[in-house]
Amino acid sequence: MNRLVIEGLHAGYGAVTVLRDVSIEVREGEFVALLGTNGNGKSTLLNTVLGLVKPTAGRVALEWDGRSVDLTGLAPHAIVREGIAIVPEGRRLVPTLSVTENLLLAGSSPRGRPAIDDNLAYCFDTFPMLKERRAQLAGTMSGGQQQLLAIARALMCAPTVLVIDEPSVGLAPIVVGQVFEAIAHLQETARLTILMAEQSFFQAVDVASRAYVMSHGRIIRTLDRADGAIDHAEIRRAMMGVAAA
Amino acid sequence: MILELLANAISTGVLLGCIYAALALGLAVSFGLLHIPNIAHPVFVVTGAFAATVFNAMGFDPLLVSLPLALVFYGAGIAFFEFYSRIYEKRGESDTMQALTLFFGVSLVIETVLVMQFGADQRSTDVDYVGQSLTLGPVVMPYRLLIPALVAPVMVTALWLYLKYTYAGIAIRAVAHDERALSVSGIDPGWIKRHAFGIAAATAAISGAALVIVGPIDPFAGRMQIGRAFAVVILAGMGSIPGTLAAGILIGVTEALVGAFGSPSWAPAVAFTMLLATLAFKPSGLFGAAR
Repeated sequence: MNRLVIEGLHAGYGAVTVLRDVSIEVREGEFVALLGTNGNGKSTLLNTVLGLVKPTAGRVALEWDGRSVDLTGLAPHAIVREGIAIVPEGRRLVPTLSVTENLLLAGSSPRGRPAIDDNLAYCFDTFPMLKERRAQLAGTMSGGQQQLLAIARALMCAPTVLVIDEPSVGLAPIVVGQVFEAIAHLQETARLTILMAEQSFFQAVDVASRAYVMSHGRIIRTLDRADGAIDHAEIRRAMMGVAAA
Repeated sequence: MILELLANAISTGVLLGCIYAALALGLAVSFGLLHIPNIAHPVFVVTGAFAATVFNAMGFDPLLVSLPLALVFYGAGIAFFEFYSRIYEKRGESDTMQALTLFFGVSLVIETVLVMQFGADQRSTDVDYVGQSLTLGPVVMPYRLLIPALVAPVMVTALWLYLKYTYAGIAIRAVAHDERALSVSGIDPGWIKRHAFGIAAATAAISGAALVIVGPIDPFAGRMQIGRAFAVVILAGMGSIPGTLAAGILIGVTEALVGAFGSPSWAPAVAFTMLLATLAFKPSGLFGAAR
């Protein structure tokens, strides 16, 4: 089975342990949401997957097409080259480069380079707004536009798994809706495999096929759409710290 | 008479300014784009000049031989940057004071090696066109200034095109802003910084050859140029490559006019005055992006 697997992950910052024994998996074609309020370890988990935080125990591996690549301890750019693209929190665009230059920067990494022209055309087809603004400096665009650019930039890396960290942060509610729509559309049309951390959980859960709920650095709940509709009230109980069994 | 003096002052200023731009170009990359205060850059240029004299003594043209030398300097620049980043940058925050001390020390070491190898005497090149001049009406341009001056627009254009239109060039323009933006794009920021520093060092080989055609130099010739090189980069606007040429010419012409109509003793103060005025009134420089 093609999947991104995280097993028994412990990680933290100095003496502070944030993640305690976290195990999750993301299977091919799935849209997995990682839910939790601020400060429960969602970003730490994604940053550990991306190599920005070094785990103290456990492993992250990409098992795909019969290959198993151990990502634990690789540098962030090396992990992106193995097929994990990220839309980071705060977007991390280069404000002084144009839209096209931001896309080409990611597209020129070894993984995306062979299909760079096709990938750029695909991004412009998918997000016509970016095509219209291709010469504009990224720093002069609105937050929602920048978020879409950050998603397009991740696509330029030709990802196997797309990791999205809190796409709604700092955006107006109506824009959040548009961003989620774009992500859901991508997932449907391109059958992308997505792992997304989010705290505006009702919107996230409506587009996700599965969801993990995090609290105090642990996974306290796993919700699967296959078991029937995901119950909002149940998530609220779980997220507000009323840990259900 | 006064017009002739003016025309000659301006033309000499333009030619000198081009040479200043060539000297400062590597600094525009290492300081302007990477934010590394490489005060050793002028000494790199002097090293390039001495390398050119060695090969010139064997009968090679100094400018032509500086092209293969640029490759050697590129490699040395990468090795040196690796050393710098391991010792200083990896210790958490890169400390400007520590970096300045390192580069100051490196300047002294290189100067000492040059003195031990070549002696403290001045060295020059022997090329056919030195001593001849191009005369255009009242303006007389000696080839020993004109030929090396032409190096600057060629280097500036080549570097500008490289930064503007290649993938590596885009990454170099981005790396000082946000290394993490490169990481998440699948680009190794460490490699891009090494590569850029290598390019900065490579320009020193070519500028050095240009400098030694202008006139004889000794191992300490770089010291005179440190302030001027920083003045060019800051007046241009941090990271602006075409601006380097404009700023170099502006400083060169001002120096020549002050020398011709004021007193030549004041000329060395021109670059620093312009540097201070830029920092006081327009810190983003002539062509720098507003920060």
